[in-house]
Amino acid sequence: MYTTERRPSMAERRPTIVAMSAQSVVPHLAGIEDPLPDTTPEKVDVLIVGTGMVESVLAAALSWQGSSVLHIDRNDHYGDSSATLTVDQIKKWVNSVNQGLFSGCYDNAKLYVSTSIGNHNGKYASRDFGIDLAPKVLFAKSDLLSILVRSRVHQYLEFQSLSNFHTFENDNFEKLTNTKQEIFTDQKLPLMTKRNLMKFIKFVLNWEEQPEVWKPYADTPLCDLLVEKFRLEKAQVFELMFSIGLCYNMQTKTPEALQRIRRYLSSFDVYGPFSVLYSKYGGPGELSQGFCRSAAVGGATYKLNETLTSYDPNTKMALFGDGSQVYVTEKVVASPSQAPKDSRNIPNQKYEVHRLTCVVEKSCEQWFSEGESAAVIVFPPGSLKSGNVEVVQAFILGSGSEICPGGTSVWYLSTMQQGSRAEMDLDAALEAMEASLIRESSTDLEHDDSLVQFGPNGETLINSVRLGQSFKQYVPRERIQFLLKLYYTQYTSTPPFNVVDPSFFDINNIDGNGKLIPGASDNGVLYTAMPSGEISYDEVVTAVRVLYEKIVGSDDDFFDLDFEDEDEAPMNKADYENAIEDDEDVDMNVGRHESAEFVGEMEI
Amino acid sequence: MHGVKRKQWTQELLKQKKEQDRKRITQYRGLVDKLLDSRDSKTYNMEVFKETTQLLRINPEYNAGWNYRRDIIEHLSPELKHEFWEDELAFSMALLKDYPKVYWIWNHRKWTLENHIDKSVKIWLRELAIVSKLLQMDPRNFHGWHYRRILVAEIEGRTGQSRDGEELQYAIDNTNKNISNYSAWHQKATLIPKMFEKDEIKDKKKFIQDEFTYITNAIYTDAEDQSVWFYIEWFVKNHIVIDALGRDELIQKLQELQENILAINEDDLQFSGKQNNWCLKVLIVLEDVQRNLKVQFTPHSHEYLAQLIEADPMRKNRYLHLLHRK
Repeated sequence: MYTTERRPSMAERRPTIVAMSAQSVVPHLAGIEDPLPDTTPEKVDVLIVGTGMVESVLAAALSWQGSSVLHIDRNDHYGDSSATLTVDQIKKWVNSVNQGLFSGCYDNAKLYVSTSIGNHNGKYASRDFGIDLAPKVLFAKSDLLSILVRSRVHQYLEFQSLSNFHTFENDNFEKLTNTKQEIFTDQKLPLMTKRNLMKFIKFVLNWEEQPEVWKPYADTPLCDLLVEKFRLEKAQVFELMFSIGLCYNMQTKTPEALQRIRRYLSSFDVYGPFSVLYSKYGGPGELSQGFCRSAAVGGATYKLNETLTSYDPNTKMALFGDGSQVYVTEKVVASPSQAPKDSRNIPNQKYEVHRLTCVVEKSCEQWFSEGESAAVIVFPPGSLKSGNVEVVQAFILGSGSEICPGGTSVWYLSTMQQGSRAEMDLDAALEAMEASLIRESSTDLEHDDSLVQFGPNGETLINSVRLGQSFKQYVPRERIQFLLKLYYTQYTSTPPFNVVDPSFFDINNIDGNGKLIPGASDNGVLYTAMPSGEISYDEVVTAVRVLYEKIVGSDDDFFDLDFEDEDEAPMNKADYENAIEDDEDVDMNVGRHESAEFVGEMEI
Repeated sequence: MHGVKRKQWTQELLKQKKEQDRKRITQYRGLVDKLLDSRDSKTYNMEVFKETTQLLRINPEYNAGWNYRRDIIEHLSPELKHEFWEDELAFSMALLKDYPKVYWIWNHRKWTLENHIDKSVKIWLRELAIVSKLLQMDPRNFHGWHYRRILVAEIEGRTGQSRDGEELQYAIDNTNKNISNYSAWHQKATLIPKMFEKDEIKDKKKFIQDEFTYITNAIYTDAEDQSVWFYIEWFVKNHIVIDALGRDELIQKLQELQENILAINEDDLQFSGKQNNWCLKVLIVLEDVQRNLKVQFTPHSHEYLAQLIEADPMRKNRYLHLLHRK
């Protein structure tokens, strides 16, 4: 059974898709639109516990390879640590975190919800929102995207482009200059800087083949190479490292940083003049669901509201919370967030990712490129009042993404800063965004003659107060309405910048020299890694591939799918040009709405 | 090839494919023979017209087929309605989508427009919008650019109004979008002297000054791009620059450009240990232009040429020729 309080699922949203081929019909998912199976199968090849991103892609890969898969989740919804949740589901989740249900995976969750949401007479319903626990963006040229296309999972999803990347510098948001056209036509960039920037961009596209340029800097932070070899100025160094490369701090080593910068640049113009996409209706939560669906088509069995109680590697029997059991011929794979009680083998998730997610009663469309509904804002080291050492990344989604109603937006902030100062950095970034937004959109400005400009037809030019213009001295009278604020700390075993190390999956098998830990309920269980703080999906496929190889013995046939609808162009450009055009413009005058109580509800 | 399913060519499959190909070849040859017979017997009717459609779909490069098709249309033209001409345009457009670089299709499309039953300028304006869209998808298709010039000339002839200003802006927008768009640079080089002659540029002096800034900007953005360098060679040698600036200011602009090119070349040398061949080639041109202007300077062309002979041996004899010219 499912709660009635949930967002429409993929199949429910798109029930009337014209069937171009059998694959484009969105199949129903057990537990959401379809009833759950009454019985548990007697025997499966692989049992997967938790329907997060990695587990779901793995389920699809194994099902299509021919393994029989039983995929369970203890929740009444899909997604687990990658879920897209309604506000009520968030409340429940926060409670679970603070009861210690996810110990070692999440803690320190704090939630503020305005009375405007829910409560029957609230302005917004809980399910108007789809908040991701681990929000991510998708690079146009990436391994996950090619698997989405190959597995036809992209047909269940809708993608939108994100072209605006802003770098916060000197109390200002600077829009990224990254294309040749922008560099060429930029009036402000000095000539030699243009040349150096272009030279670097050309270099980075095939940097591996030019060791003479970067080898001397192989063990030093990239900024040394940028400054000494390419003579770039601080503004460009920051843009390249933090906005284009999405690095976390100044210490990022040359090869890693080059890899990340290339990731952005080589993704540009693959599907259009942008590098990054995101999925509508929710991020990893939506993709997880898509891969589960694909796995179900491939033959996997799904059970929600089901917990793993224990697994015995000698008898190969897995016991479940409802008393049923299954014989597992190959492996049990589990997310640390759904480990059985009395587990002793969960690998240490020693890295912290601090997150702050806000729902704001502002459309924020001035941050978006025309016709889009998303932006990324990066706060480089030292750019914030808090004196941040690590970057704070903010991923902004407007109502065109369908994760929040018109006139609102969702801000996902995160940092890899460890320890308690992380929250100070997040707060400082939030404050900077808030201040900038007020400056840019304040209606008060219209009454201030010194700031207003008039266009040729007498219209007020709001452009003059757009991004990139600082009005430090300006004190606005207005405050931003926060509809929701959620702080939490997430733990992961994946170090910053790395994908999961294959040896990670050996831990459980060689732990104690192959001896089983007496009394542990999870001996022999292979644990996945919790999502890292990486803002893109880049680590996912690597992690799945490694697990797949561990289970199947080789990754030769990993997603080696051959559907009949081969002729169909994968995700053609027109498709989401249409999707983008479908977006309705969001009403700007949200500040004039009756204000809801700022802190309506607080749950610890 | 991208997006094409890989096939295991087993003996059996190969045999099947050969068999299929043989059938297709026989069919095609039959069609050609039949049409040539009809042509020789001067048959002009709708049936043979449809056969040319069939043939040209298989092979749009077959110009005899296009010629015969036009003969048929001319003979039938008194009966042909508006719809026929529109269908004919749709036919060539469909072919262009698959074969954007076949001369005969472009040629036939132009002929269709010229003979269209609708003689108003409307269809030409519509065509201009179509070719803009086409160039947007494939900005460096020189057929498209050439065709665009034909359309513009036609529209100008019919309306009596010059479109040079719009076309220049169109070319600039395209070089802004992509410095490497050789066709757009060429379009500029075609338009600017024409506009100077027709007095369509108000402030000529400022125009040329701005153009110097623009090309300097371009070589700093990408000093490897040959279309910019070609344009510079054309630009500095053209009489419009001296006409607009006068000798003294031109010399000053040339020397500024020279300094910038030297700076870029020096930067390349420091970065990669190699000089930039394009810088050297254009530096030689700049010395030539200054020599013609009777400017006194210490020439370096011989050093540049010696360097080029070593760095660019494929064009050694050209450099030797320049070295030994009088």
